[in-house]
Amino acid sequence: MRKGLSYLAYGVAAGIVLVGASHDALRAAGASASDKLALFAEVFNKVRDNYAEKPDDEKMIKAAIDGMLSSLDPHSNYFDPKALADFQSSMKGEEFGGLGLEVMMEGGLVKVVSPIDDTPAARAGMLSGDLVTRIDDTPVKGMSLKEAVDKMRGPAKSSVKLTVERGANRDIKEVTIVREIIHVQSVRSHLESGDIGYIRVTQFNQEAYDGVRKAFDHFRADPGPAKLKGYILDLRNNPGGLLNQAVEITNAFIDSGEIVSTRGRNPDQVQRYSARPGVDLAQQKPLVVLINGGSASASEIVSGALQDLKRATLIGTRSFGKGSVQTILPLGENGALKLTTARYYTPSGRSIQAKGIVPDIRVLENIPDDLKGKVSSMGEASLAGHLKNAGEEEKGSDAYVPPDRAKDTQLEAAVEFLHGAKAETLRSPDPPATAVTSQ
Amino acid sequence: MIRKAGYLGVGVVLGAAAAATAPQALMYMSPAAYAAAADTYRQLNLFGDVFDKIRNDYVEKPDESKLITAAINGMLSSLDPHSSYMDAKQFRDMQVQTKGEFGGLGIEVTQEDGLIKVVTPIDDTPAAKAGILSGDIITAIDDQPTQGLTLDQAVEKMRGSINSPVKLKVVRGPKKDVKEFTVVRELIHVQSVRSKVEDGDIGYIRITQFTEQTEDGLKAAMDKLHTEIPADKFKGYILDLRNNPGGLLDQSIDVVNSFIDRGEIVSTRGRTPDETQRFDAKPGGDLSGGKPLVVLINGGSASASEIVSGALQDHKRATLIGTRSFGKGSVQTIMPLGENGALRLTTARYYTPSGRSIQAKGIEPDIKVLEAVPDDLKGKDDMKGEASLKGHLANGAEDTSASQAYVPPDEKNDDQLTAAIDLLHGVKHPEPAVKADAAPAKTDAPAAPAGSAAPSDPQTGPAKPK
Repeated sequence: MRKGLSYLAYGVAAGIVLVGASHDALRAAGASASDKLALFAEVFNKVRDNYAEKPDDEKMIKAAIDGMLSSLDPHSNYFDPKALADFQSSMKGEEFGGLGLEVMMEGGLVKVVSPIDDTPAARAGMLSGDLVTRIDDTPVKGMSLKEAVDKMRGPAKSSVKLTVERGANRDIKEVTIVREIIHVQSVRSHLESGDIGYIRVTQFNQEAYDGVRKAFDHFRADPGPAKLKGYILDLRNNPGGLLNQAVEITNAFIDSGEIVSTRGRNPDQVQRYSARPGVDLAQQKPLVVLINGGSASASEIVSGALQDLKRATLIGTRSFGKGSVQTILPLGENGALKLTTARYYTPSGRSIQAKGIVPDIRVLENIPDDLKGKVSSMGEASLAGHLKNAGEEEKGSDAYVPPDRAKDTQLEAAVEFLHGAKAETLRSPDPPATAVTSQ
Repeated sequence: MIRKAGYLGVGVVLGAAAAATAPQALMYMSPAAYAAAADTYRQLNLFGDVFDKIRNDYVEKPDESKLITAAINGMLSSLDPHSSYMDAKQFRDMQVQTKGEFGGLGIEVTQEDGLIKVVTPIDDTPAAKAGILSGDIITAIDDQPTQGLTLDQAVEKMRGSINSPVKLKVVRGPKKDVKEFTVVRELIHVQSVRSKVEDGDIGYIRITQFTEQTEDGLKAAMDKLHTEIPADKFKGYILDLRNNPGGLLDQSIDVVNSFIDRGEIVSTRGRTPDETQRFDAKPGGDLSGGKPLVVLINGGSASASEIVSGALQDHKRATLIGTRSFGKGSVQTIMPLGENGALRLTTARYYTPSGRSIQAKGIEPDIKVLEAVPDDLKGKDDMKGEASLKGHLANGAEDTSASQAYVPPDEKNDDQLTAAIDLLHGVKHPEPAVKADAAPAKTDAPAAPAGSAAPSDPQTGPAKPK
């Protein structure tokens, strides 16, 4: 039961981070659980002795661990050493030959969470919500997520064929994509209409805060503080990442106040993260945060905090609703366990688990006819085995960002808002079917 | 490691059944086994480590039983589709099913629009004697409304110990008359064998599954047929194994033995050669008097059904009519786990007398006859078979195509049964031409659902490998 609180300080992630193992906790646990473990060991031994073929011990244990974790929630996973190395390199923003897709497992298929900007996958037209059913004609059914990812990665310039099911009609598409070196660049920025600093964070890896800081440096040089009307922080289709990066980035826009708290199983496991004074880079300039159905986890910490503190106006569509924190627990030479250890709460004390964050100004993108109904993220509440939240849960929210800036209604609304337009003139009408809920 | 070959004698099952457990034997290890054992313990320790971390650090207090059940299921599902874990309740249910008897009322029920509906009261059971009728809707069991119960829950409530009473409230007929019955539970036998006389001179025997009642049921059926059909008129038997998913190995051996007097019936082979078990016919077991025999099979005939049809085909004792069988060529043993239920583990493959494994291949009928499938069922009646199951044991060149598994409810439309009768009435040794004459429209299947496009030429010998 004892849990090292120091874990959180140096590495819990909303999405992720590395911590030291707590050996005494392990020892304390071992004894009382022995009868359940004994049953498992008995079955394991019976299989080893009697199965029709010589079984592979390692494969059996891995399947047992995967089975056990999948009975918990969709975000608890086992990383074998190779998967752990891949995970760590992606958190470090390291380079690899690949397509540029964020994926997850759903119903035995690989589902695209979001294509990463400026990658072969994005240019090939892959969309959030696409289900990858075959990779180079090999069915994905039966593969683990790691196996699927391994198959998609490969040397730069080599090509890979994906068979994809899209949308409610399950239209089948085949896409051949040439791999490139994917540098997981988590932050990009540019000036919008000469006077707005636009910062896009694609994921919260270890480079994210540095990237944001550099973006501020650029804006300080061009156009300079005097000319700058405000900032747009674009977190659309950002699936999350490291908790400490989310805290740092929030701190770049505020000077005081609580940012987020995480709560484990026991009351003594509450951790509060507050802004440190003196690191507010935005100097109180107006801020719009863009979110959509693909904004999850660390993205929701940032947008939830800035909304609660009335520091930002949120524009877009309701966020994903992943309100849990995973901790990476090392398993020595056997990889690591990514385990859901806490829920997080915004400064006002709300949990967004299976609910998401509702934007202040709901603006829908114009979805091209051929994509209608195919670019919604179903959200946390639709995941099998998700942690429950008291009260109403919310499913389904648009997660489409037009590739063409000129058609990006949400971004345009953000620019107009910072230029003084009233919220009422920007808001999309509520369709009767998808009423926006109040918290 | 050390494995008790004696398992098979006691209680091996195909599909399912209880067996005695064998003592576990990790302790008797040769020195050479130590290196492997060290790795095994490393793996077990890894599992224990993960389990402890979940117990200590998960965001909610986890249910340890649920964790272990999920782990065991995960581990077993990495083996093959027929290895599984049964908790204590599932184990009891399975025992009931393979035993073929339980304390109950004797009604077949189904669920319709959330209501429990009587399909039919079984003859000579408490339900039939109490006057419960087909079509009755059971609205309450012991005063508890059935609304909201699953079919399993309702069945569970109706079953109970012998001689205990149960009160049923039923709604009957268009007027929705409400009736109450108090019925005393009796020992109900699930009938695994049914028989009747076809055309006055053929003994038709249907086995729905291989339970502990099968051997006795078959003997009774054959006795009855012999009294009903004069010996001089008796043309032969039809043994219908269509959509029979299997069951107990020993019962399938007894069934084969009822039609042959000598020779091997089946062998099972485990991981090592010393685990091979051969099962032979006992002289004097043949009750059929050497009369001709047709066995009906289809894509739903699996496991024990395939042992029976494979043995009778190899011995040239029977002519197989229908469609290719399922292709489950593995043997599961039930290993009890004390109060924790039992493990159903694939421990061997079985081989027909000629030495073929039907795993992921199935048995080809000697005469392939397709049923005419009604339009609204087209494409829904095919059985994909073992070869399409994820993680199935591999077996060389497999047959992944689907095989038809439809049996028309109305016997008049049952082309496979008709072909069997025609064969027994006509030519003894079938030639392709016979079948073409008997059922010309059904041999080719231009209108059959995709996937069932097996070669339309009949197989007259043992199955050809594809």
